[in-house]
Amino acid sequence: MLEEGKTLKDVLIKVVDAAAQKFGADYVEIRAQRLFKTMLTLKEDRVEAAKQGIENGAALRVLMNGAWGFASVGTLDTETLTDAVSDACKMAKTASVRLKTPIKLIETKAAEDKVLVKPRKDPSKISIEDKINTPLTMSNTILGHDSRVKSCTIDYLDLTGTSYFINNEGTYIEQDKLYVWSRILATATEAGIFTFSREEIGSTAGYEIFDVETPEIVGERVAKRAVEQLKAKPPKGGTFPVVLGPNVVGVFVHEAFGHLAEADLTLSGSVLSDKLGKKIASDIVTFYDDGTIPGAFGSFKYDDEGVPAQKTILVKDGVVSGLMHNRETAQKFDTKPTGNARAEDFRVEPIIRMRNTFMEPKDHSFQELVEDIKFGYYFKSFRGGQANLDGTFQVGIQEAYEIVNGEVGEPVCNASMSGNTLETLLKVDAAGKDFELWPGRCGKGQTAFVCDGGPHIRVKGVLVGGSA
Amino acid sequence: MVVLKQEEMLNLAEDAVSLALMKGVDEVEAFVYQGLTTNVIIERGQIARSSRIIDRGLGVRAIINKAVGFSYTNILESKAATEEAVLKALSSAKASKPDEAWHNLPAKKTFASVENTYDSNVVELQSEDLVKVASMMLDAAEKADKRVFPIEGGAGASYLSRVIANSNGVASFDHGTIIECSLATIGHEGGEVTPVCFEFNAERNYNIDPEWIGREAARLAVSALKAKRMETKTTNVIFTQFALQQLLYFTLINAVKADYVQRNQSAFKGKIGEKVASEIVTIYDDGLFNGGLRTWKFDGEGVPQQKTLIIEKGILRNFIYDNYTAKKEGKESTGNASRAGYLSTPNVEATNFHLMAGNKSPKELITEVDEGLLVYYLQGAHSSNPASGEFSVVATPAWKIKNGEIAYATKGAMLAGNIFEVLTNVSALADNERKIGQLVAPWVLVENVKVIGK
Repeated sequence: MLEEGKTLKDVLIKVVDAAAQKFGADYVEIRAQRLFKTMLTLKEDRVEAAKQGIENGAALRVLMNGAWGFASVGTLDTETLTDAVSDACKMAKTASVRLKTPIKLIETKAAEDKVLVKPRKDPSKISIEDKINTPLTMSNTILGHDSRVKSCTIDYLDLTGTSYFINNEGTYIEQDKLYVWSRILATATEAGIFTFSREEIGSTAGYEIFDVETPEIVGERVAKRAVEQLKAKPPKGGTFPVVLGPNVVGVFVHEAFGHLAEADLTLSGSVLSDKLGKKIASDIVTFYDDGTIPGAFGSFKYDDEGVPAQKTILVKDGVVSGLMHNRETAQKFDTKPTGNARAEDFRVEPIIRMRNTFMEPKDHSFQELVEDIKFGYYFKSFRGGQANLDGTFQVGIQEAYEIVNGEVGEPVCNASMSGNTLETLLKVDAAGKDFELWPGRCGKGQTAFVCDGGPHIRVKGVLVGGSA
Repeated sequence: MVVLKQEEMLNLAEDAVSLALMKGVDEVEAFVYQGLTTNVIIERGQIARSSRIIDRGLGVRAIINKAVGFSYTNILESKAATEEAVLKALSSAKASKPDEAWHNLPAKKTFASVENTYDSNVVELQSEDLVKVASMMLDAAEKADKRVFPIEGGAGASYLSRVIANSNGVASFDHGTIIECSLATIGHEGGEVTPVCFEFNAERNYNIDPEWIGREAARLAVSALKAKRMETKTTNVIFTQFALQQLLYFTLINAVKADYVQRNQSAFKGKIGEKVASEIVTIYDDGLFNGGLRTWKFDGEGVPQQKTLIIEKGILRNFIYDNYTAKKEGKESTGNASRAGYLSTPNVEATNFHLMAGNKSPKELITEVDEGLLVYYLQGAHSSNPASGEFSVVATPAWKIKNGEIAYATKGAMLAGNIFEVLTNVSALADNERKIGQLVAPWVLVENVKVIGK
């Protein structure tokens, strides 16, 4: 492997030189990957298929005449890569014909590094038989929980391998990749009522994630929710005070604020475009996007432009204090890149993505958050969320309860909340002292592995979409 | 890079099948996929990027003692890589658990003919041509109104080819083209920003209208300005195809998949022959739809694609099956096995989900509504309850209809309800059928939808 790596480095250097010297690229980078995946799908206690995959490939990106050219190929030899980079240069030239504002990159320090991951339990060293036992135990726990639980679907993925990044500015990085992920879905049925419950597990540390999130613990959590939802009632539609659990706060921060603070979307005219340095939230609101949390699902050492990941402050005490950047948007804002350029794999170009996005905890207990609410909702766990550039957010809730006279009451099904970011963040009036970070996946054309989190919080009023 | 030809793809697949049989599997299937895509990309008002993506690979499904293993590789240049893929499929099957419900892989059958799925004009498109297409679209949007900002979009041309071979005599090749052109815009005026508005064309033949896309994306953004909140009430809603596609993808389409039915995840279980929708609703899953975005000769298992009646005048008639779910019930697959290129095993999925059009023009449909909402897109449809069909989503953008005319754009209105109730409340269908993803449908008027305004 090491020798192959060296050979690959030589090839990459040669191709980068050709792009800069022979084809006239102003900037060139190659991201080569050798990836191995194990995937499992279980439906109830049936292993639908055990799957293993090998993916080799390279993404070649050049900047020429102020426009980007990109090529992706699945072969890592000098000839193919040279053809591809020549292709990318042609693409850039073609694209530049109608350019009004040439694209420039902010300067960064060249880096040479080799990043190794040292998992306690390396998924590539665990047999498939053993791996199958993890979702199988989950499945048995879920189906054994209650006879009304009728089905479960469990997906498992581990990804290992190496990513090689090189550019013509002297950066060369070899970075190990390691992801362990699982998604667990369960349904329960009784008297024509159908409920649905989901969980995700994700880590960049190693297979040891299952020592904490054991199949039994996760299985119980999923099954219990599906059964409890059977007796849940639909929420009333309208504006209500809500207490959000860390899992919902995370997705709220991610959807309602995070996407708008991705500098490419800010430049596209998101409602934050004229808000940098301005107060948009109550004093207790402080948001971070942090790529450096060890083992978290959204962490990495270098992003896909070779920029080191960092802890980026987005909102400080209610004031917009930073955005998430790649080298292109950092140049536009005349600021430092934040290490948020990520590509799902060698088939696609890096774009600005979140990492681990969260709200900072404060000082309230859960009881204090709930006690003054006469009627409202406690949203504990989310099903999905989506943002829009005008600041409209939506978060669908899979586990909710009524709050009646300061107490958490009956379960509520199929609720969702919506509002406008700029109005809603001003209504966040208290935050708990607890903190949780939850793994998930974010879609922006490509999929990125992320974490979202925060403490419990209270929001004075948010629109609840209910059918009752 | 050289394009893999039909014979090369067939050889690759058949070699993998014979190698696996030599290694002692009971059954084996090899899928070879090739996708060549050229894109020109618009970012923030200008063409800023162009890309060429070549993705191809081999997926091998091996069955030993009723246990299924799968492996894929995108290294196709060496016999050693093919052999490794076969061996990994084999070792995966050995590690997996037997499934008593497994019968066997599909056998060879004659395919129906498909029309307008391949156009050599699309294959020949260069990035220069796509720059012209994207420019026409961009110019049309910018000329339309100063308040419009084109945030992203582009034009792309793809050539896709696939081969499937199995130990049961299947060895088939098919190829096709897709051309897409799209533009997302926002409107802005005096501090107000509209939600993202979007228009596009996607066709198998080179038959797109970039100027129309540009004009339409601009028109939507301008008309989404000056948005007002509306009151909470139960009202009439016209869903455009965009909104309908988002809503149905996460609910109704799952409910008719045999996999969901067999596993007690579908509200349609046991309801074949029963009335599940308004009698003006007729739906086919049509894998042979002329020029359909999901029209192919065969599905992801080499089974002929077909036209399957799903709902006939409101009565539920059939579910859709792949090979596994069909044989479990002693039936034949309806050709609904779908795969994510070479990367995955097959899954039950709709092909072209065709909700038959009515005969009213969109304008007539609006005229029929005294009070209601025209909903273009939805936010949050993926957070619907896929088992019960309940949804709670935001309509962005949407327009209030008053006395048969569009009155104003609405802001942040939520819709809550159940897709199965929506189906029974469909009261009229327009004649403006179009293709969006796997949906082919017109605008649909639905009564009694709960709208939460404030």
